[in-house]
Amino acid sequence: MEEFIGEVWHKYISAKVATGYPEAALELTHLQSQLSTYFHGLGGAPGKVVEAAEARALNNHRPLLQRIAGSHRRASLCWQDQRSLRLPPVIDYLPEKSLNEALYFWLAALAAKLPKMSHWFLDNQLATLTILKTHPGLKTGYEKLAKAVVEQRPLIEHLPLKLQAREQAMQQAILKPGSVDSLPMAAGDPLFVPLWLYPAPLFDVANNQAQDDEEQASSAKKETNEPPETLDTPRKEAQRFDDEKQTDGLLVFKLDALFSWAEQVDMDRSQQEDLDQDLQGAADDLDVITLSKKRKAGSAKVKFDMDLPAPFTDDLYLGPGIKLPEWNYKKRAMLKDFCFLQPMVSDEATPKKLDNNLKKEANALKRQFNLLRPISALQRRQPFGDEIDLDAWLDIKTQPNATLDGENLYLAKKQNERDMSTLVLADLSMSTDSGVTTQQRVVDVIRDSLVLFSEALSACDDPFALYGFSSIKNKQIRYQLLKNFSETYSDETRGRIMAIEPGFYTRMGAAIRQSVSVLKLQKSQQKLLLIISDGKPNDIDHYEGRYGIEDTRQAILEAKRQGIQPFCITIDSQANDYLPYLFGDQGFALVRKIQQLPKLLPKLYLNLTQSI
Amino acid sequence: MSQTNNRQAIHYQAQDRECEIFNAAANNKLPVLLKGPTGCGKTRFVEYMAQQLKRPLFTVACHDDLSATDLVGRHLIGANGTHWQDGPLTRAVREGGICYLDEVVEARKDTTVVIHPLTDHRRLLPIDRTGELVEAHPDFMLVVSYNPGYQNLIKGLKPSTRQRFIALEFDYPQAKLEASIICQETGLDTQRAEQLVLLGEEIRRLKDHDLEEGASTRLLIYAAKLMQSSLSTVEACMAALAQPLSDDRDTIKAIERLVNAHF
Repeated sequence: MEEFIGEVWHKYISAKVATGYPEAALELTHLQSQLSTYFHGLGGAPGKVVEAAEARALNNHRPLLQRIAGSHRRASLCWQDQRSLRLPPVIDYLPEKSLNEALYFWLAALAAKLPKMSHWFLDNQLATLTILKTHPGLKTGYEKLAKAVVEQRPLIEHLPLKLQAREQAMQQAILKPGSVDSLPMAAGDPLFVPLWLYPAPLFDVANNQAQDDEEQASSAKKETNEPPETLDTPRKEAQRFDDEKQTDGLLVFKLDALFSWAEQVDMDRSQQEDLDQDLQGAADDLDVITLSKKRKAGSAKVKFDMDLPAPFTDDLYLGPGIKLPEWNYKKRAMLKDFCFLQPMVSDEATPKKLDNNLKKEANALKRQFNLLRPISALQRRQPFGDEIDLDAWLDIKTQPNATLDGENLYLAKKQNERDMSTLVLADLSMSTDSGVTTQQRVVDVIRDSLVLFSEALSACDDPFALYGFSSIKNKQIRYQLLKNFSETYSDETRGRIMAIEPGFYTRMGAAIRQSVSVLKLQKSQQKLLLIISDGKPNDIDHYEGRYGIEDTRQAILEAKRQGIQPFCITIDSQANDYLPYLFGDQGFALVRKIQQLPKLLPKLYLNLTQSI
Repeated sequence: MSQTNNRQAIHYQAQDRECEIFNAAANNKLPVLLKGPTGCGKTRFVEYMAQQLKRPLFTVACHDDLSATDLVGRHLIGANGTHWQDGPLTRAVREGGICYLDEVVEARKDTTVVIHPLTDHRRLLPIDRTGELVEAHPDFMLVVSYNPGYQNLIKGLKPSTRQRFIALEFDYPQAKLEASIICQETGLDTQRAEQLVLLGEEIRRLKDHDLEEGASTRLLIYAAKLMQSSLSTVEACMAALAQPLSDDRDTIKAIERLVNAHF
């Protein structure tokens, strides 16, 4: 009964204080791509994406009823940081849908002009003024919006006396931006302005600084000071993790088994390997480095290696594995049988139909590629043929001494002009696990690309195979078969593509060598090795930096020597540093916006096939 | 192929010192390579320079079926048997003049065979059909252009071909210059021309992300021309700047928003 009454009361009071117009609500998801284009067009930084903002707490004046209902404490503000522009997930603030839509676009425009904010009240007005000056078309729109927004604000005389002056100034600033240069002081935050940008939320970092330093000093006294190691990495986003209350180790036994403190052994497993050399690599691989507040605990080293999956959950191994050489640039020699490559196939992947999201794109590509089916092209100057080659005839006629003996005077229909096999080698290393957007990882984009590519190529009957690879040192290079040349593209293949998961590292050289030996067996005249990658070759042993690049380069040179055309598609923005060295100036493409990869891949294929 | 005769004066506003460089190249009998995005004024520049230098201009728009024969010439059947017909390149070589191969990367590979001997010190054009070896007229000049964009990612010019040219890079003109070009070409008022240029810049920012290519100066001029006729400003911009650039609905809508922000 209590609960029932509570619920009724909650409903009643919530409805009583609800503001906004749910019937005019507009969701960000419907406008996201338009807003993103608009934002970038108006000068927003190219890499910034548009995302939904979380609700943030506001400390502003609320009328009695709202306070009773406990509502309106939080609002979805619009703000931006280096990474993205955050817009409210839903806007229902204004009574008309068109107004709410205009509000979204207004916020995107304002954000494009206001990448950095130093003073909330002044900068918003100033940016508004600049926009209206450079974009006179927005003027009437803004006036309408401003009027509607002010109408939604409480009447000034309904507010407590001490807040009135400030609210007056706020409304003035909204209606006539640039006309108020200072905001009268009053308690709390000013009422939420949906038309304006807010600064990025501050994370309290400075806290406990003193305590931290103190602790550091005391621990430094006890231990011999090690020379500071400088890690030359780009700045990482840092998080302070308070592990003060936690124990130093993991307690993985039942607590009731803990009889006395004497049983807890302070163990320090000796290091078998020096991990210091990999600190840099490890730091590179991490997105967020969590800093421990406790100096001493933080300095303890934990040794771990990414375990291989247990045999019964792992994919099916195909054959005993293949030994492959690797190039050591320091010794300038090929290390024979240095790498062990294990071809495998996912035997548990279930056949899948084409995903609905991709259907439209796939159909468009299929239509396009259908036209590329080997159509009968006319070949000139043939000894036999359906029609007379007038050019050839003319040539003979213009040479008075020519005879008709053995001349090729016919046009013949040629069956297959494009004779090319393609092997797509996709990088499935752990780095592809990183997010493109909150819902999408790099590997998801690679997967979609592979599916669309397969749809397209199966429509034009060009033979192709798909493989993925990852590695854990030289002992296991996992070479995942997704589709080989002989099988037809079917639901099973699609299922295998859909089942790909990222893991481990990128030992590219060995994977390329194996792909070359697969591709070599193809009888077609041209052979294309298409590599999809998201970064440099690397592995946890010495296979990184120059070593990895030199080995990959060797593998590519070998491929070229064997008549295979390698081509790399990468999403690594730093690719220009090393890919020209690996693939040559014309041998790679950098896709800046990874979401476009699925659409671009078939297009690139067309370009490649036409130019070779 | 089209041959342009110098009838009326052609307008061209220099962006940099390209006219001087072109003149120097012409005086030294050097071939010129122009690179730059679509519609930034490459063709106009060549037309203008041809007029300045008082040389006839032979323009060939290259396509993927254009072979050396199309440039050099072919035998034709006439009333009195067959006769040889010079192609545009041969005519320019014989008579003196500028032969302009627009979008040269589109042409078939065998065209390089005729381009190479013409672009070094020999300045010769061998015509294998007739067995003739034509020495180039002192006024002959070869100009080629190409657009280093996405579609030419793979196609690009071979280094051995590139190395034979003096190269000039073109880009869309600076905002002020572009506005004055629009005014001059169409007679649009300065204020709207400037607004149009701002809009153009915004659309260009979308290149490589949402659009394959940004709005060219040519499209801006088209938009200005439409504005000068009975169409409304927004209609003109949509027809000239949004629809030609994209088929994606969201992108077009976003561009429409950008247009509305300006006019």
